[in-house]
Amino acid sequence: MASTSASLGGKAAAGQGLFTRQSSGLVRELGVPAATGIALASVAVVNTFINFNAGLVSFNQADMTLPLLLGAAIWLVAMFAYKYLLEAIPRAGGEYVYLSRIISPALGAMAGISICIAFTYILAANANFTAAYTPFMLTALGAAFNSSAISDAAGNVTSQGAIAAISVVMLLVVGAVSLVSIRRLAQVILALVGIQLLAFLVLGWLLITHSHQDFVNALATFSNHPNAFNDILAAAQKNQIPLGISIGASLTAVPFMVLNYNGVLYAYYVGGELKRPGRTYLYASVISIGLLVVVWLGVWLLMRNTVGLDFMQSQAKLGATDPDAYGKITSLQSSAGGLGYGLILSGDPISKILIGIAVPSAELAVDLAFVAVVTRVMFALAFDRLLPISLAKISERSAIPTNAIIVAVVIGILFAILAAFVNLSNIVANLALFVALIIVAGGVAATALPYRRPDLIMRPGQTELARVGGVPVPSLWGAATTLLAVIVVALIVTHPEVFGSFTLTSVGALVIVLLAGPVIYLIARQMRLSRSSIDLRLAMRELPPE
Amino acid sequence: MFFGRPKKRSLRVFFATDIHGSDRCFRKFLAAADSYEADVLVLGGDIAGKGLVPIRRENGNLVARVRGEPVAVPRAEEERLRAEINRMGFYSVLSDAEDIERMERDQAHLDRAFQRAIIEQIEGWCALAEERLAPSVRCIITPGNDDPKAIDPVLKAAGRIESPEAEICDLGPVVMASCGDVTPTPWNTEREYPEDELGRRLEKILEGAPVGRKMVVNFHCPPYGSGLDFAAELDPQLRPVIRGGRPSIVPVGSKAVREVIKRHQPAVGLHGHIHESKAAQKIGSTMCLNPGSDYAADVLRGAIVDFAEDGSYIDFLFTTG
Repeated sequence: MASTSASLGGKAAAGQGLFTRQSSGLVRELGVPAATGIALASVAVVNTFINFNAGLVSFNQADMTLPLLLGAAIWLVAMFAYKYLLEAIPRAGGEYVYLSRIISPALGAMAGISICIAFTYILAANANFTAAYTPFMLTALGAAFNSSAISDAAGNVTSQGAIAAISVVMLLVVGAVSLVSIRRLAQVILALVGIQLLAFLVLGWLLITHSHQDFVNALATFSNHPNAFNDILAAAQKNQIPLGISIGASLTAVPFMVLNYNGVLYAYYVGGELKRPGRTYLYASVISIGLLVVVWLGVWLLMRNTVGLDFMQSQAKLGATDPDAYGKITSLQSSAGGLGYGLILSGDPISKILIGIAVPSAELAVDLAFVAVVTRVMFALAFDRLLPISLAKISERSAIPTNAIIVAVVIGILFAILAAFVNLSNIVANLALFVALIIVAGGVAATALPYRRPDLIMRPGQTELARVGGVPVPSLWGAATTLLAVIVVALIVTHPEVFGSFTLTSVGALVIVLLAGPVIYLIARQMRLSRSSIDLRLAMRELPPE
Repeated sequence: MFFGRPKKRSLRVFFATDIHGSDRCFRKFLAAADSYEADVLVLGGDIAGKGLVPIRRENGNLVARVRGEPVAVPRAEEERLRAEINRMGFYSVLSDAEDIERMERDQAHLDRAFQRAIIEQIEGWCALAEERLAPSVRCIITPGNDDPKAIDPVLKAAGRIESPEAEICDLGPVVMASCGDVTPTPWNTEREYPEDELGRRLEKILEGAPVGRKMVVNFHCPPYGSGLDFAAELDPQLRPVIRGGRPSIVPVGSKAVREVIKRHQPAVGLHGHIHESKAAQKIGSTMCLNPGSDYAADVLRGAIVDFAEDGSYIDFLFTTG
């Protein structure tokens, strides 16, 4: 409803060098802070406390400094590739819209449907993870409030039923919060990210203000075991756990850290709601990657200094390979990693509360961000008639795809209940590979963009794209992304013991998920052709602007 | 189920609306004929832009504020700077400090500057249509409430463009009635009329429709309460009204348009006006469409509509190009 006044109604926007006519209209709501919030939430900033530990379990003699830096570098390269894609096609749907518009609708459908399935499973997996982490949270809160009732409750929430119930409650909360406008949702996500960053600062502060000897003493006190620190080292030695740093092991851990950063670019999935998409996306991604490098690397180096790499390696590996021996020395959950160190070093209840709620905050933020992401992909698929059109319905009041949110949350709940009672690990074993394949898809789309649809990135009056060595710049970023992502894929495939084994079940599940999209596309297209004169492919044609 | 036989298409219309001065969207609109295999392109109003960026000459450079940031380019790059400004849907005008100051204090002077810019752009678009469209493609552009009446003669005079505002136009299997008038908005534009008056104007247009022919109505204003007309309620200061902590969303379409559609039952209603209310809704047997608008992001929203030889509506598909 754009309009002018009786005259043309012009007025000067003071200091903006712009005269405007009054009007209203579709407003893209997300600026840099909101997009940054979605990107950071998709990563689960605070999970790295725990993931460092998981990395040390998986990779003997690994030091996380190199993987942290190389992982960030790979995402920086990918960021530029996605920037070109988003500028060319500034709308919701991520790899689905890029591949369907640039390469082929069937390939786009493959990416779109598989992302919907995999990301909805991730929603459920995060909810299950939160439920499994609840005992640690209750222990921390019990310590903070000096309440044995809260601490004791930790023992009552470990059953499968409890995990299923907590997961369902969490997903219902996620669903309810997701029904507000994307702008308000981004504010909630930012607040949750803020809690995580605060927890990082608290941990950093605790590590800075305590010496190595303080940590040794604190561990002894917490464990009621005067020589806990040295006994863990001795037990590790007895179990022949290799300690120290190996460059080879650190390089092998790069894919692990790449996956750890996964989500840091996800603002492109809500490209249809970003103000000035290319710029907003670039700023949000740079801020997110920069912040993660500073925070994660900083905390890692502080942990190395205060706790010691040998101890972290010993604790992680011993806790995983010989939990009985570990449990006899300390009750500190080995998988808690940095959070555990923070918990035993913190003397005040506020720190304990922050450390206790950091992981649930992270998982809640991740799920909120993933609901935003997965529903925008569903929206894009439904808009193109590959899913029921009702999933593309936008609420007039809050401008969100309400039906898609409900469907995503309901399927997420079903997955969560299933995962709580049935071991799905064999079926979803290749999830890491799938995530890496998504980056490959983005890289391929960016590589093909200047060749298949140069018109989408040409500026008015421009006749030739900028080239380096005869290759268009967007293709160079795309090719670099593809190459790096393929290396990550190769490392994932060659290290099944870490990233998931390849069984008939896991590979079959991956193939079914990947083939679902093209099959749905072919069926939807044929059904439409049988009753309409308009080919579905037209919906996926991007108009050349020049 | 997979091998049925749909009605044979005799006419394909591509409809877009509310591009508000976006040069890029207009170029996409022209390209839609080829990409979507359309026989007729219809641009349903609100084609004029909303912003005017003054460019100052300063020490051999051209200086402007683009997206709120100061930009200085050599004079040789004037075309590039103006193209960049236009990409945002804004007009640019070369001026000096004195002229800018006059625009700030003299409303009539600013209005004239806007009008010149709007007309200049539309003349450019008409030339572009002439250059780019295949001879077999018809291109129809009708004004909306946001377009000053001064553009009507410019559109009428264009050789390659048809502008049958307030007229009936024969598209072959169907005829099309067009009207860019709307009900009153908070901005008091030139083409606003009370419901009664708007109803009379629409009826007068439809009186000219040949009896027995299937019809399409290209009314800029959507029918009231149709789902094509939801917008944020505004207070007298044009701020969104908040109820229960959320913006109040209300139907803002025209009851007169709805009544006319109910009475005449055209095959299809093509509407715009409310950018954020993309929707399709049947009123009786009439399929009413509003493809919405996202011109600020260089995205051309539109609708492909197919008709059979007897003028009956076959199907539609919303597009985002």
